[in-house]
Amino acid sequence: MIQFQNVVKTYPNGVKALKGINLEVQQGEFVAIIGLSGAGKSTLLRSINQMHTITEGKLLVNGVDVSTLKGKSLRRFRRDIGMVFQSFNLVKRTSVIKNVLAARVADMPLWMSLLGLYTKKDKIIALEALDQVGILEKAYTRADQLSGGQQQRVALARCVAQQPKIILADEPVASLDPVTSNQVMNDFVKINKELNITVIANMHHVDIALKFANRVIGIKEGLIVFDGPSSKVNNQILKEIYGRELSDDELMEH
Amino acid sequence: MDKIKQFILPKPITLGNGKVVQPKMSPAIYVVPILAFITIYSVNLTKFKLETLFRRGYQFFVILDGMIPPNFAYFDKVWAPLVATIMMSVIGTLVGSILALPAAYLSSENMMKSKFVKFITKAFFSVVRTFPILVLALLFRIIFGIGAFAGTMAIGVFTFTIMTKMFYELIDTADMGPFEAIMSSGASRIQAFWSAIMPQLWGQYYSLILYNFEMNIRNAAVLGYVGAGGIGIILNERLGWRLYPDVGLILLVMMVTVYLIETLSRTIRKNLL
Repeated sequence: MIQFQNVVKTYPNGVKALKGINLEVQQGEFVAIIGLSGAGKSTLLRSINQMHTITEGKLLVNGVDVSTLKGKSLRRFRRDIGMVFQSFNLVKRTSVIKNVLAARVADMPLWMSLLGLYTKKDKIIALEALDQVGILEKAYTRADQLSGGQQQRVALARCVAQQPKIILADEPVASLDPVTSNQVMNDFVKINKELNITVIANMHHVDIALKFANRVIGIKEGLIVFDGPSSKVNNQILKEIYGRELSDDELMEH
Repeated sequence: MDKIKQFILPKPITLGNGKVVQPKMSPAIYVVPILAFITIYSVNLTKFKLETLFRRGYQFFVILDGMIPPNFAYFDKVWAPLVATIMMSVIGTLVGSILALPAAYLSSENMMKSKFVKFITKAFFSVVRTFPILVLALLFRIIFGIGAFAGTMAIGVFTFTIMTKMFYELIDTADMGPFEAIMSSGASRIQAFWSAIMPQLWGQYYSLILYNFEMNIRNAAVLGYVGAGGIGIILNERLGWRLYPDVGLILLVMMVTVYLIETLSRTIRKNLL
């Protein structure tokens, strides 16, 4: 369970990205966070795994106060949280399998990771993760040979190979076309259901968020302005989150 | 003052509608006098005389003529120092390049968080980099004695400092996305560097090693002049004795070796990038 209690994040340059967030996410939920660029979606997501530290309030993940973590305990904590990015963040010059195996280094002693000595168990975990997102046959292809959708699947497989309890996805389909977006989102749903992994995703496209997530959180200027099931989201609520009516092309057509 | 300005500045251009545009002063106004001064000063200081160039220049062709045909029988004696030269470069380049990896990590902007460590390593390496390889060789000859070991050390240290600089600049410009991804999975900075940054850079790293190796082969050839081993020793000796056919062979062998190694290295590097 993830609990935000009056969480505030002020950046060193004085920008207040989060202005008192209260939020509870249960294990196994699929949550979409929507809101304008700069509303604080990214900061909220990255505060969960402490890629950004919070300045005020309390953030508990499975009972652990994340702001008390540092060094080794922080790294241990992060192993249970996977992350997927808009720009995939793969090493493009190297093979798919090596990209996925990189998720295993956090569990390895330093000397083994320096020598690249992955155990057979690690290799099987990585290959099974690739199988789960349906691109097992691309395991030994270079990452830059793949399409955007395939690359994001590799990134998702890397995340799964980490065997996390939570997946944080920062605009996972924002740079993909509509058809591919749907396929990748289906993979997220599959992993959410089959492995009971909590998925929290920042979503750029409202209709995709509504279609795939069970719960939607709307953020505006660092505050939560809506939190409820996706079925309850209507035009009035979207207007409140985005500050104006959304046009049809902003609600990407399929 | 205004009169001087009028003299130096280009004439204003008046447009048909009466607008006046003032073109900028050409930098040649001060660059040319400075260059002229430096040139005259240098010619005086170095006692450069065109007359000497014409009077003695032909000697170059006398020596060149003496080298042709090269004394091929001398090859037996060239072989061993040639291999020594190559081996000095191989070992020096390898050791220097391997040590440059952790040093580059410590000097890079994006990997090393501690400003203090970065400052210390960068300052240290820029000081060492100011030594030309011949100076290093002279130094090591005193420390380790005459011979190939001093030369190898000089090549190693020289390669180390240059590779460190070249490589930390590559690290600085690497894609940080994969690094963030691996850091978020709970890896340490070194692990994330190794599995997210290095896979982007291995090709360029090997390419830099080969580039340095090419450079070091040429470096190693002159190191013999200061007693640091290799083919330079016999080159110095034969030139001193004016045995030009032997000198001719040494130069020919060096040219062929450097050409072969550069061609090989370039072919490999093309496939690396």
